[in-house]
Amino acid sequence: MNDVVVTVRGATRTYNEETIPVHALRGVDLEVHRGDFISLAGPSGSGKSTLLNLIGGLDQADEGDVIVDQVSLSELNENQLSDLRLEKIGFVFQAYNLLPVLTAEENVGFVMQLQGMSKTERSERARETLASVGLEDLADRRPGDMSGGQQQRVAIARAIATKPVLLLADEPSANLDSGTTEELLQLLKKLNEEFGMTIVTATHDPMVMAYTSRKINLRDGAIVVST
Amino acid sequence: MSDISLTDGTLTAVAIRPDIKRATPELWGVAWRNITRTKRRTWLTACGIAFAILMMTFVRSLQVGAFIGAVDNSARIMLGHIQLQHPVYEDDPAIENSIHGINDIIADVESRPGVEIVSARAQSFALTSSGERSFGAQIIGVQYEKEAVWSSLTRMQVDGRYIEGPGEAFIGSALARNLGITIGDELVILGTAVEGGVAALVADVVGTYTSGQPELDRAIVQVPLQDFQVAWTLAPDEAHTVIVIAESVADSEELAPQLGRAGLRSLNWRDLQPEMVQMMEMKLIGTYVLFILVAIIVIFSVVNSFMMIIFERTPEFGMLMAVGMRPHHIIIQLQIEALLVCILGIILGLGITAVGVGILSETGIALPAQAGELLKSMAMPERMYPVFSFGALFIAVPVMVLGTQLAALIPGLRLRHMHAVDALRSAE
Amino acid sequence: MPITLLAQLSLRNIVRHRRRNLMLLMAIAVAVLTVLMANTVIRGMQYDLREQTVSNLNGHIKVHAPGYLDDPSIARGFELAAGWEPKINVSEVEGWAARIRIPAVIMSERETRGIQFVGIDPAQESISFLSKAHYDGQPLNTSSDRRIIIGKEMADQLETQVGRRLVIITQGSDGLNREAGFRIAGVYDTEGTAIEKIFVFTGVTALQNMVDAIVVTEVSVRLVDDAFQLSMLDSLLRFFADLEVKTWQQLEPLAAAFFLFAESAIYLYFFIIMTALIFGLVNTLVTSVMERVHELGMLRAVGMRPGAVVMQVVIESTFIMMIGVALGLTLGWLIFQLLPPVLDLSSFSEGFEKFGMPAKIHLRLHVSDMVLITVMSMVFGVLASLYPAKRAVKISPLEALRL
Ligand SMILES: Nc1ncnc2c1ncn2[C@@H]1O[C@H](COP(=O)(O)OP(=O)(O)OP(=O)(O)O)[C@@H](O)[C@H]1O
Ligand SMILES: [Mg+2]
Repeated sequence: MNDVVVTVRGATRTYNEETIPVHALRGVDLEVHRGDFISLAGPSGSGKSTLLNLIGGLDQADEGDVIVDQVSLSELNENQLSDLRLEKIGFVFQAYNLLPVLTAEENVGFVMQLQGMSKTERSERARETLASVGLEDLADRRPGDMSGGQQQRVAIARAIATKPVLLLADEPSANLDSGTTEELLQLLKKLNEEFGMTIVTATHDPMVMAYTSRKINLRDGAIVVST
Repeated sequence: MSDISLTDGTLTAVAIRPDIKRATPELWGVAWRNITRTKRRTWLTACGIAFAILMMTFVRSLQVGAFIGAVDNSARIMLGHIQLQHPVYEDDPAIENSIHGINDIIADVESRPGVEIVSARAQSFALTSSGERSFGAQIIGVQYEKEAVWSSLTRMQVDGRYIEGPGEAFIGSALARNLGITIGDELVILGTAVEGGVAALVADVVGTYTSGQPELDRAIVQVPLQDFQVAWTLAPDEAHTVIVIAESVADSEELAPQLGRAGLRSLNWRDLQPEMVQMMEMKLIGTYVLFILVAIIVIFSVVNSFMMIIFERTPEFGMLMAVGMRPHHIIIQLQIEALLVCILGIILGLGITAVGVGILSETGIALPAQAGELLKSMAMPERMYPVFSFGALFIAVPVMVLGTQLAALIPGLRLRHMHAVDALRSAE
Repeated sequence: MPITLLAQLSLRNIVRHRRRNLMLLMAIAVAVLTVLMANTVIRGMQYDLREQTVSNLNGHIKVHAPGYLDDPSIARGFELAAGWEPKINVSEVEGWAARIRIPAVIMSERETRGIQFVGIDPAQESISFLSKAHYDGQPLNTSSDRRIIIGKEMADQLETQVGRRLVIITQGSDGLNREAGFRIAGVYDTEGTAIEKIFVFTGVTALQNMVDAIVVTEVSVRLVDDAFQLSMLDSLLRFFADLEVKTWQQLEPLAAAFFLFAESAIYLYFFIIMTALIFGLVNTLVTSVMERVHELGMLRAVGMRPGAVVMQVVIESTFIMMIGVALGLTLGWLIFQLLPPVLDLSSFSEGFEKFGMPAKIHLRLHVSDMVLITVMSMVFGVLASLYPAKRAVKISPLEALRL
């Protein structure tokens, strides 16, 4: 079995091609192996989010190729990309992770619902996952009634409940204090070590970098340091 | 909220002026910016208002056009636009209730502006027979040279031809069928002349007509006026009605009251075609009811629209209140926005009606051929020309202006008790 | 596609903005109510017109001798044996009537009028308006009753009344005119005056004696239900093979045209009212989409297909429509129950009677029309969601999450 989960080859991404071009990525090569826990660091505007978006199939590279689980993303249409994200990738964003009209449990469950999982299985798995992030008591609350850290933990629960091949997190700790960040990182580390989940996270936070097993530094859309 | 900038300089400028009079001009400017900021919503709301206006004014313009067309058409078949009669003739159409001096009357009326042609008729009910068959019919003595010019009955699916000289008769096709008469046959007419004498007349049937209106086709015989006067022993300048054909229905409205005098009653088209007036009133009521319902539906959507506006802008209102604007300023602001959207809708609706009616009143609307029989029975002409209805405008516009003001006020009133802190917090 | 999830999300979003959606629901309910009420009136007029046409001596189907319609004289009569009623489709038949109907002239001391003189067997006329008319005096007794009944309007025109004698002239079977005096047994009053001006009735045997011919000029049949018309027509065409068999639609093409026109009037009302509604509906839906840009963007990011996003908007629209329509129909049904079964417009406009228009409308609410309105409203709801849905698929997860 191939243990390369993601391959990025010579990926470039330029925004505003017609007006003032912004070269967000200028040819990035990267291999992510199964079980990696990677932090993407670099100054603001260096292309971290862009790279995560390319890997997650939310954005398309102008040149080069992104291969996730042996599938080249440039060959997929909108529906196939949607399905890829649904089945293989878990996302945690900086904000807007949750649906305000759903409870915590439902928020964790709806991705499984999209996958077509039965109600009982879904509910069981959602509660389990909420428990694993320490939120079993808040299962019936809506996002509006939770703190930022709690919301972010629900978001992680949602992202991991489907057991994705790859977890992508874009500055998951940006809105959190150091104590909460610590808890979050413990959780990610546990997922990585115990379940072998592959995690790629973009961050500015040295605390986050300290937890990760591989550290990649971006500057002006190119990888400058990779361990 | 992405499309809301909390640091809009103009808004802040308004807010620091407590005196509403001085602030008003700026409220207008800000209101305009606000409605252009959410273009899609403004257009959708304005379109709803425009539709209500359009529905009312356009439909009424079509109805008025169709109505005037039908009245004119009907008038030109047989009735005329105006009829001059003996004062009691309408209620008691007896042979004695006639008018004298018709030649002077005709000369006088024909000299007036707006008059196209004037002719006289004498009429009475009589028994008509051919061979062994007899039927009752209305016998009308006509000035046939003139009737041939204006009366479209003389050209309606005619077999044979219209009267061209004395001793001839022109009759309805259903009557001809009932009598078993064909063109060239003799028709014997027996009636009651002045003072109970016998009126007898023999005429050659030279033509039959089919108007599609059973009353006309079944029971009318036209003969020359002179023949009638002789048979019914009327004087040579005596008749029962003077028929006036005006250049238009509108002209006849002005003319009719001028023509009556002592001993001569003037009936306008409303008197002559009362069922038409009745039908129009029913249509009018129907359209008003429909308009009111459409207006209610549209106004509900405007309330809805203002609820959304207020919901979205509550944080902004909180900021404005935090810097010193009073709730009623915000309410007035919203009322002005409602007025502007309404004006936009009115311009749009009236614009479409005006252009539509403008074009169609030139080209006319061809009425569908399948509806032919139906329309003929209602005396509709083949083409109709809409006429812009100001009456509809004067109802539709105020209703929509008041309606939208109310629609903005209903959700707006809640702002009276709003506190800046709550409003600001709702941004999350 | 996980419809339950989409439905759940739509429903919760509707409830979340219940105040503004309540406004929208009220607008839809008023619209549906309006369409439904207009419908009950139009359907009422439509069926009243048919009922009137059928009971105005036409029946559902009428049989004449060939040529009678062009030349309605006694010479175009036909003989009927005793017990002539065809024993066909018995369960579908409400009744048969044989009549003589010929043109005639009627004279009072003061006035003369052309009329349709009709000889009837009063026992058979339960199928025509005569059984429902109001009488001043009495109706006819038997087919040999030598008296006449005339319409109220005719009585006014002739300035006569019950008990007086009138002279009627008509053509006999030999082609010669007969003249006879008749006493007025009764004056009938119907809705509208069109009939009252034309028809004068006497016993059929009396009229046969007057014209010297033991014939009738028409046989008309009234059916239990309009649905049987076609099969009956078929049977009658064979039964009366040498006579002319015509439906009321063929005999009264104008009434038939109005009957059909009413059908499209219903759609016309629907489209006018629903157009008024659609702006508000689209407005709300677009707002609902724009408010949820982030949510919808996130849903796309975690793997919801574009089609499912479209579905979400469509479902939301149909949900709102469904609730509004249910509200409107229920309200309409309740109002219909409260309304008198006959809407009397005569107090509203005294002119109706005068011009022969029926002033009473028997309101009708058809379940099939309620279904039609529901289905059309749903289609409308889907159409209204197209533009907002188009807007919703344009949301790119990338942009929605960046903001
Ligand atoms: N949709 C877009 N349109 C135009 N420019 C964009 C777009 N997305 C990103 N960029 C630009 O591309 C460059 C890289 O952006 P990116 O979001 O990847 O940076 P980042 O490393 O994630 O920064 P941060 O740490 O601030 O999140 C930046 O200069 C940004 O302005
Ligand atoms: Mg970033």
